Amino acid sequence: MSTTITADGGHGHAHDHHDADHKPGFFARWFLSTNHKDIGTLYLIFAITAGVIGGAISGLMRAELAQPGIQYLHLWAQWSDGPTATLDQAYHLWNVLITAHGLIMVFFMVMPAIIGGFGNWFVPIMIGAPDMAFPRMNNVSFWLLIPAFLLLLGSSFVPGGTGNGAGTGWTVYAPLSTSGSAGPAVDLAILSLHIAGAGSILGAVNFITTIFNMRAPGMTLHKMPLFVWSVLVTAFLLLLALPVLAAAITMLLTDRNFGTTFYDAAGGGDPELYQHLFWFFGHPEVYIMILPGFGIVSQIISTFSRKPVFGYLGMAYAMVAIGVVGFVVWAHHMFTTGMTVNVKMYFTAATMVIAVPTGVKIFSWIATMWGGSISFKTPMVWALGFVFLFTVGGVTGVVLANGGVDDNMHDTYYVVAHFHYVLSLGAVFSLFAGFYYWFPKMSGRMYSEFLGQLHFWVFFIGVNLLFFPMHFLGLSGMPRRIPDYPQAYAYWNGIASHGYEIMAVGVLIFFINIIWAFAAGKKAGDNPWGEGATTLEWTLSSPPPYHQFETLPVID
Amino acid sequence: MNIAKSIVFAGLLAIGAHGAMAQAPAAEAPVTAAVANEAAPVAAANAAAPAESAKAEAKVAAPEQLKPEPTIGQPQAKELGFQEQVTANGRYALWFHNGILLPLITIISVFVLVLLLYVMFRFRAGRNPVPSKVSHNTAIEVIWTLGPVLILVGVAIPSIDLLAKQFKPAPKEALTVKVTGYQWYWGYEYPDNGIAEYVSNMLPPEKAVANGEPGLLAVDNRLVLPVGRPIKLITTGSDVIHSFSVPALWVKIDAVPGRLNERTFTIDRPGVYYGQCSELCGARHGFMPIAIEALPQDKFAQWVASQGGSVTAKPAEAAAAAN
Amino acid sequence: MKHGRTAKIALAVAFLMFGVGFASVPLYRMFCQATGFGGTTMRGSESELAAIAAGGRAGTGRQLSIRFDSNIAQGMPWEFKPEQRIETVRVGQKQMAIFIARNLSDKPVTGRATFNVTPDQSGAYFAKIQCFCFTEQTLQPGQEVRMPVLYYIDPKILDDQDNKDVQEITLSYTFYPVEKDGNQG
Repeated sequence: MSTTITADGGHGHAHDHHDADHKPGFFARWFLSTNHKDIGTLYLIFAITAGVIGGAISGLMRAELAQPGIQYLHLWAQWSDGPTATLDQAYHLWNVLITAHGLIMVFFMVMPAIIGGFGNWFVPIMIGAPDMAFPRMNNVSFWLLIPAFLLLLGSSFVPGGTGNGAGTGWTVYAPLSTSGSAGPAVDLAILSLHIAGAGSILGAVNFITTIFNMRAPGMTLHKMPLFVWSVLVTAFLLLLALPVLAAAITMLLTDRNFGTTFYDAAGGGDPELYQHLFWFFGHPEVYIMILPGFGIVSQIISTFSRKPVFGYLGMAYAMVAIGVVGFVVWAHHMFTTGMTVNVKMYFTAATMVIAVPTGVKIFSWIATMWGGSISFKTPMVWALGFVFLFTVGGVTGVVLANGGVDDNMHDTYYVVAHFHYVLSLGAVFSLFAGFYYWFPKMSGRMYSEFLGQLHFWVFFIGVNLLFFPMHFLGLSGMPRRIPDYPQAYAYWNGIASHGYEIMAVGVLIFFINIIWAFAAGKKAGDNPWGEGATTLEWTLSSPPPYHQFETLPVID
Repeated sequence: MNIAKSIVFAGLLAIGAHGAMAQAPAAEAPVTAAVANEAAPVAAANAAAPAESAKAEAKVAAPEQLKPEPTIGQPQAKELGFQEQVTANGRYALWFHNGILLPLITIISVFVLVLLLYVMFRFRAGRNPVPSKVSHNTAIEVIWTLGPVLILVGVAIPSIDLLAKQFKPAPKEALTVKVTGYQWYWGYEYPDNGIAEYVSNMLPPEKAVANGEPGLLAVDNRLVLPVGRPIKLITTGSDVIHSFSVPALWVKIDAVPGRLNERTFTIDRPGVYYGQCSELCGARHGFMPIAIEALPQDKFAQWVASQGGSVTAKPAEAAAAAN
Repeated sequence: MKHGRTAKIALAVAFLMFGVGFASVPLYRMFCQATGFGGTTMRGSESELAAIAAGGRAGTGRQLSIRFDSNIAQGMPWEFKPEQRIETVRVGQKQMAIFIARNLSDKPVTGRATFNVTPDQSGAYFAKIQCFCFTEQTLQPGQEVRMPVLYYIDPKILDDQDNKDVQEITLSYTFYPVEKDGNQG
């Protein structure tokens, strides 16, 4: 698919850009790629592939949870653990599924798509730069993802305790991940995170250098499009948070293999230290996933309202504030671990503070539309869906922030509902919005507007049916990460599983639309969105020349 | 910056509110029985010993096992909200959620939705072909920054108060029960009543249902607790981290290997209250439920006696009596 | 070159944070020991105790009960119990609690104890002068030992609002085997 995208589009404009469009051969172009747009395309293809795998895993989970009792798990276990698989191995397989779903969606779907894909494609163009600062390092960042992903998938086929695979949850808490998981599966999963993390850190260095040093003349920091701002803040979060995760899981590895006792009470260590370190990374990580989405949505709402973003500086610095405060709220993930009342009070108050800059963003988006001339093209409906669903996910976050209330909700489906509303309905909606917004630019083809709108509505209905009932399940006490549940939880679980089916149809429409675009889609002009689209990518051809801005644009 | 100020403000508020709570007069319950007397002879080295010897002499029948009420202490089909609460703090937290948080987040969500729909209708291209160029309005920006700050401060007050209540240390007359999480069952011990640790496993679902109990929640040996007496749970984990969680009590506390946690609550009505392990702990994480049987004090005393322990005697005396 | 400089600074920040990750191990321990976070107890001394007595604060204020809790790691062939489960104490006075450990196996076994107190906020005032948990303990087959803990409650606990209502402090130990061959699963 990758070759078609650019090859097709490239031919369409070959006449206009003879010099700028000179491309290397297939292998050199796609395997030794140093071109930010090609690397961005690779990231997007990778993320879509990983997303299909991660999404299929959640399909397995929803199938098993559709009814009380174990329907399929023991059958799948026979496939993964051999024909003699025990019931315990089947239960372990469940834990492997939840772990894989979480890790794949976070590290191999959302991050590669939103930072690697859209970030690579559009940050250089939006600031008027010919490419990223370190093109070869950019290539390395991408190709580190492949072995990382293979290691994670491979870990499912080697022993990890009760059965094959890493069944620790994406949080990899010690001591379940150390003394509780014998066998190489968890080691492979940890190595996978190391490699993916190393790639992301290199990517962050690249983005920071590019944004600081390669802006076109006149493109001051305070004139940068908000998407660039969001990637800049995200890059800093990556730079500060990921190394801490790397250190934390390195210590897990040595605890597992070399007899150290960083997290082992037997040797004077403390398992809670791991949780502190993990969530010091883990909370900024959720902003790493959502901030670029904020950026994308800001661009889209401004474009389709034909108005500049309302309160630009407030929007930019709200993201900075979210990033900064995001580093001092981590222990709200640990409210039930046994903390003193003062610590819980602090983390309750600090966490609620994040609602303030988030509110600024939501109101500013609405104010951007206010007085605008709004057209409801596919990217815009996705962005509108994002604003509402992210609000719903955000307010349940305010509920969970209350340490005293969290005593009942912690580790229940309410939490699952909350973070899927901000990620699966927040980050993923912004991904689809961005994809529809930039697809004509990236491919040179228009997709079917009808299929895009249909995709939105089917997906919107599906995910809400899928995730909204989880609030009810969580309130009435259903814990996370269980393969079977008491009869009373059957009703809402059944609804959720039907929601998954509808969502899956939505994803199918998405793929049909892409195929349709390449097979029958109209050629896209330089700027298909009209006068509202003011950022630099719309001044280039669709797709842009292989090397853009050989003479730098000047921003006044 | 507003944000910086609001952090400081929230912090100050947290400290201030807590201080106020802490200064409220603590209901010092009169201490009736003297706590452990240093002079008492001690034979508690082996907690199992007094239990066994007492069992031999006093053959008290255990009270009949309580039947769970179908509408309390367990999740309900198609339920939309929390389980009914049977502790004062649980009811306070439930009020805080249902009376403040839930209406608040509903209003905010609906407000945003209505704004969005209005804007979509009023400023659609067909109706408003020429967009305005307004991109700043300091007044409104200040309002939507300070508004949420005020709302959050309003939320923080009951929230901090709830925490202060939940963390009120156990009074002297509290019953101490030790909970240990194992892969994959719970162990319960009553150190002050001479009842050594016993193990609580999940009942097979068919058996539970035959017994009139919910499947996957019923256990073979329940955690038996008195009604109306503060209970101090101390929890620890034997292998990996588990979490002791009972929704009807609004209690969830991790059981961490190598360290002890404590949580205090008072159940105010008899009944059976179910819960489940709430921290991923390996293969059978979903199959180590908790069942609490809350009994009136006399029935509880009878149960303790049936286990060979004593409910009235304080630890040292209990040990002495067992000798 | 400008790019190189920016990238070097960024990479240095990443390495610094990687280091912070590892440094957090001793820092976390120091933080716990300094503040009593997580119910970490304090290291007391006879001289501090003498200073408390000289300040006239020994034995003042309300009584506290101290509960002793003991745990044995899975697979460790020991019996380990406090001699007395509860003691009533006054602040600022030296107390001694005895724990009894017995090796039930026919091999010498070395163990090390971890500990904490609950409620968490009382850790900062629970001072141990001498404890078996400071060092490893080796028990010969069948051997039984009485292991003392010398401790006192710092009178400053009486001034702390967060400890105002605390009636009982639980001191918990868990004995873990010290695996001499470092073999871990």
